[in-house]
Amino acid sequence: MLPESAEIVLLAAIALAFVFVFAPAAPRRSLLLRGGAGLAGTVAIAAVPTFELVVLVLLTLGVLHAAVDGKQSFAVRLRAPALAVAVFALGLVLARAAGPQVLERFAAVGLVAGLAAGIGLLPYLHPFDPDDSVTVSPIAWIALIGPVLATVVVASARGLLTAEAGGVFGAMLIGLGLLNVVWGGVAAWLTENTIAAWRYSFVADWGLALCGFGLTVVDGRRGALLVIFSIVLCRLPIYLASPQAPRARTLMERPINLVVAAALAGSAPFAGFAARVLLLRGATQLFWPLGLVLALGMLLWLPGSLRLGRSLGLPRGRQAIGVALVLALNIAVGLYPLPILEAARL
Amino acid sequence: MLEAGAAFVAWLGMSLVVLADGRRGLALGAAIATAGIALLVGQGAGLIDAGALALGGAAMVARRLTRGPGGWQLMPPGSTPRLVLCVAAGLLSLWVAFSVTTGAGAALRFGAMTVVGLSGARALFSNEPAALLTAVGLLALAVAAIAGAGEASPDPWPYVAAAIVAAGAGWVSVRTAHAA
Repeated sequence: MLPESAEIVLLAAIALAFVFVFAPAAPRRSLLLRGGAGLAGTVAIAAVPTFELVVLVLLTLGVLHAAVDGKQSFAVRLRAPALAVAVFALGLVLARAAGPQVLERFAAVGLVAGLAAGIGLLPYLHPFDPDDSVTVSPIAWIALIGPVLATVVVASARGLLTAEAGGVFGAMLIGLGLLNVVWGGVAAWLTENTIAAWRYSFVADWGLALCGFGLTVVDGRRGALLVIFSIVLCRLPIYLASPQAPRARTLMERPINLVVAAALAGSAPFAGFAARVLLLRGATQLFWPLGLVLALGMLLWLPGSLRLGRSLGLPRGRQAIGVALVLALNIAVGLYPLPILEAARL
Repeated sequence: MLEAGAAFVAWLGMSLVVLADGRRGLALGAAIATAGIALLVGQGAGLIDAGALALGGAAMVARRLTRGPGGWQLMPPGSTPRLVLCVAAGLLSLWVAFSVTTGAGAALRFGAMTVVGLSGARALFSNEPAALLTAVGLLALAVAAIAGAGEASPDPWPYVAAAIVAAGAGWVSVRTAHAA
């Protein structure tokens, strides 16, 4: 198992435990069963020795997740994972075949498209119903399974593709990342439904992570890891701590809502800020206009985060303790991210 | 020659799965496609690996015979686009596997690409759980077959895992969606 993947699996386990203890009125039995199954799947994705097995685990998770009770039909929910598996498989065939160099580029297209479809990013957003429970919604893919899948696919691509095709793979990740940053940031700001806004905020975060994975310098990978940390141990717990029922949502503008908004926007001293600094440094090393584009894209987090921070309402009791713990952890990692990076050998 | 025949059998079976809506048609298609994939794998990886795939496919077929819409329902009205898809996917895969790519294993590449492409298309454009789960099972078998396309001899694990996924796919209990 890659140290990076092992660390993300651990983060996912911590996030699940956190949600189990602190989330308000969470359906704990279903969370334990389905979250546990999802966690077992992520462990399998990280631990299996070959890419074919990763793809088979992904297919199994896709079928099981589509089969659980939800408002969308089985067919609709199976489409994205099945598409991910099919394009991964076609990419694998092309990567393993001898032939002209353009084949490797098509293989890279397959890997990037499979990654986007597997996580649920543009242009393959998973079907989303704001009334679905968290365990059934695409948030399970984007925040729990996606991080491990991305690290495994990026690591496997290094073995499957030549250096030239690897460059194409990275460039496509950056392009797709920028698309998700802009789309997710604008949609999180402007969409009417607050739960949909949360979903788009995950998409925007993932855009940054993809840019980090696409940068061929170590700062890019470090930034991507910290973005994933902030997805799994900042955005996901706060999303789950916020009232899920639309009627229970009240917009508050207390100091805690502003602090949460700052954490979600990736401002200092939270972990998202360190991630953004590393990404900007990596992008500037590689091609400075890319750093400029990323910096402009990062401004899109502000309006959406203010809205999402207000939607948390006023946390009370266990929920307040949970939010305080998440904020403290993110401040600690933001101020001193080295242990997280060293654990992943970055 | 045997490899080319096995690849054709895999395409034929997968095309039947795309063209059929009834459980008998789906089961026959799945059985033929499984036989084709197992023969292709048997040529390269070995008999045990091929046997594992065949066993998984057989379990999927047995389950399919008992669940799903009744009858054959082969090429129901409105099937022309599906027929065109099968022919086009076959021709495109043939061109890529035998002409664009080089080296040994062209038949395996053709078989894997047609089964992956057509089962992916079936999963994208179908609403019937029986057809979807059959496509998922065959997709799993094709993914395992790709393991043999590399230069190094593959471990048996992808074949065993794919057989389990294919066999298990038939037993998944699919619930209907709840309207809001």
